[in-house]
Amino acid sequence: MTRKTPLFRASISAAIFLALALSTSSCSKDIPSSEPLPTVTPANTDANAGSWKMIVLSGPTQIPVTAPAPVSDPGYQSELASIKAAQASLTDAQKTAITYWSSGGVLRWNQIMREIAARSDLPPSPNPDGSYPVPNPANPFANPQYPFSNPPYAARAYSYVSVAQFEALKAAWYYKYLYNRPSPFKADTSIKALLPTSDIPSYPSEDAVEAGVNVALLTLLFPTSVDEINAKAAEQQQVALISGRASASDIAAGVALGKAVAAVFAARAASDGMKAAGGNAALWQSLADNATARGEIPWISQDGPPRPPMLPVFGKVKVWMMTPNDIVNERPGPPPSTSSPQMQTETAEVKSIVNSLTRDQQATVYKWADGVSTVTPPGHWDAIAEPYISAASFSEVRASRVFALLNMALHDAAVGCWDAKYFYFNPRPSQLDPSIKTQTGLPNFPSYVSGHSDFSAAGSDVLSYLFPDGATYFQAQMQEAAMSRLYAGIHYRSDIEVGMDHGKRIGDYTVRFAKTDGAN
Amino acid sequence: MTSNHAPASSGSKNPQPRRLPLLFSRRRFILAERSPRPKGRKATLPACLTFLSMLCPSLHAQTIDDGIMLAKRSLCAGALYTHDSWDNYWQGNLQRVNGNIGTITTQTVTMAANYGVTSRLDFIINVPYVWTDASKGVLHGQSGFQDLTLAAKYKLLSIPVGKFGALRAIAVLSGTLPMTNYTPDLQPLSLGTNSKTLSGRATLNYLGRRGLYLNGTAAYNFRGNVTLDRSSYYTNGQLYLSNQVAMPNLFNYGTSVGYRKNDVSLLGDFSVQQARGGGDIRPQDMPFVSNRTNFSKAGATIKVPVPKVRALQYWFIYSNTFQGRNVGQANTFTTGLMYTLPFEKRATP
Repeated sequence: MTRKTPLFRASISAAIFLALALSTSSCSKDIPSSEPLPTVTPANTDANAGSWKMIVLSGPTQIPVTAPAPVSDPGYQSELASIKAAQASLTDAQKTAITYWSSGGVLRWNQIMREIAARSDLPPSPNPDGSYPVPNPANPFANPQYPFSNPPYAARAYSYVSVAQFEALKAAWYYKYLYNRPSPFKADTSIKALLPTSDIPSYPSEDAVEAGVNVALLTLLFPTSVDEINAKAAEQQQVALISGRASASDIAAGVALGKAVAAVFAARAASDGMKAAGGNAALWQSLADNATARGEIPWISQDGPPRPPMLPVFGKVKVWMMTPNDIVNERPGPPPSTSSPQMQTETAEVKSIVNSLTRDQQATVYKWADGVSTVTPPGHWDAIAEPYISAASFSEVRASRVFALLNMALHDAAVGCWDAKYFYFNPRPSQLDPSIKTQTGLPNFPSYVSGHSDFSAAGSDVLSYLFPDGATYFQAQMQEAAMSRLYAGIHYRSDIEVGMDHGKRIGDYTVRFAKTDGAN
Repeated sequence: MTSNHAPASSGSKNPQPRRLPLLFSRRRFILAERSPRPKGRKATLPACLTFLSMLCPSLHAQTIDDGIMLAKRSLCAGALYTHDSWDNYWQGNLQRVNGNIGTITTQTVTMAANYGVTSRLDFIINVPYVWTDASKGVLHGQSGFQDLTLAAKYKLLSIPVGKFGALRAIAVLSGTLPMTNYTPDLQPLSLGTNSKTLSGRATLNYLGRRGLYLNGTAAYNFRGNVTLDRSSYYTNGQLYLSNQVAMPNLFNYGTSVGYRKNDVSLLGDFSVQQARGGGDIRPQDMPFVSNRTNFSKAGATIKVPVPKVRALQYWFIYSNTFQGRNVGQANTFTTGLMYTLPFEKRATP
């Protein structure tokens, strides 16, 4: 027995070591991909939403929706019967889908859109000769896939989908209260209500309106994600049906309305200037020449190999709440001259900060990096809005209003920011002083003004108006987002300060609209 | 655990032969040659160990994955410098270079110590300090302490193979713990993955009398979740709305073949790592912490005693990553000195 003592002791020590080690790494490996959102029961039906001011549509009746069949109609009664049949044999997948959509279609579609935007947020890889291929909308699945959802592209995409959804839901609300058809669970008490209930009439179905808008516009903007988009839309419509919230005819009318409204926005998108936003080699050269003519050092790409500037004509893309003249009028004054002592001082500050970064500052950089494969800064602000919308228990139309207002301001800020960037064509700190090394990827466009600062100030402005209780938090987030770019070594302090001021002024255009849109 | 940290006192106080260090006692029996040991199965194992201990006079045991054990109550410690660099890397399975990073160089200074608690149980500790750098582009390199490694290496058994040598089986339990809160979110310039890991390893080793060294080892590494500074990330086809990243576990195995005798090791090495999950690096994107990192490496190990300082050993280890997925095509060399300090006199030089 005693001979075994060393082995025995070693075994015990190994066991103790194993137990200690296991206890330190016992956390679960399962990371949920979709955020668990609470079930939302609308606190208010927003019965007057059909009269809220339109943004692009001429009014709620621009797209006609014919009257539904009466409840007594045999066709409608057979629709109800099929709901009952479906409810009698729900699958686990259907129950999971009901839970998923019970937190509100507007919130879920925004999450889906953020995921798709992140998936498409990949710059093309260089060709062997050092040139870069351009994603081709006519052949979106080819390499590089279309689109490259960079921040301006994403800002525009979020805004199109959000505004179209808002307009379509306002129109839906108009018809809902015009026709006042009850939900199936009210029309027939033997049908269970498996989604949160309200007194909102069911024709046309708001869930189907959302599905129709998103299928049409998301597929237009992100064609390679078509399968996922179709699957989500089909699931949302099925949930509306089997939950007893909407009948087949409620859903058909909703999808048709959603798609018709989306078509209006698709037409706008086809001629909003986006197609020309990439510019061409002659234009890129003229931007540099203009800066040189003003006596300034022009921006150059520090990508390897050098990459054409990102969407240099995005500053001419159509805005939502402003006119093209507004964009020019709100353009910030020039940055400090590249040869000025102030620019030297600011460049030195960047170098000093980036070389003595604290871990907290570094965390701020990564929190706000919003670079390749992310939801981009506009999507980040949508994510910030999400818990506020969810907690407010808004109706679908009011929830969609938040995303519409927020993303209009973010898009307009993107246009204004890109206008300033390419008007001044100002170099990055790491160009003026190549010894400056950055703490995150260097964006491939001019420095002045900071996009993060512009986006964040516009987003914070709108959200602070919509959720006054969160204003302090939103403004703190804005400050953090803006300063993260100085910590990262990719912006001067004046880019940030002027950018925040610019973003706030642009956000105010949307806030002024929101104050008078009839929803208050 | 404490019982094994105690032998410095208890072992020396105990006059009974069975409590003597294994190396010692078995050798004494061998020298006594015809000592009246009982025959049979129970006697076989000590005899094997004795045989083996004669074959392995070196006290230089070192790494977690080799087949070498330290003598009881001896400490082997030193510093190693590792230089790892690559310009080609595999983005998924696509081999490419990237003008935004150029050559990535990672330099590591590791303070390593290995203590032989008994002749069959070693404790190993490694403390690495890391510097990273990109030769092109504008990204800032990182530096700092990386992950502490603790390992318990246990010799399960030794079996003599005729009169030619001996085969032994070794089990290793090891874990790593990030020493600082460095970011895992600036790959490939992050210092590491900032993941706690726990690893179980089995090693089979044959050492011949004339120095033939054959080593085969395999390990499974459990890796804890990693926390990012951001609240969402996209990898492996999904947007995760969380700051927590699930890390795929790793399986690795390797073999070494060569010569080992009289404190000299000349080995050819081959090793493979396979991640049990994880996504590929996205086109033109930076690597992500939970990427599926697979590789095959080949290389060589040279360990030689420093002349006139017998207890000091010079190491040089080279490896080339010749196949991989989501890793750099790295050339790596490690060089350094390890010193062995016996706390008890050896029975033989």
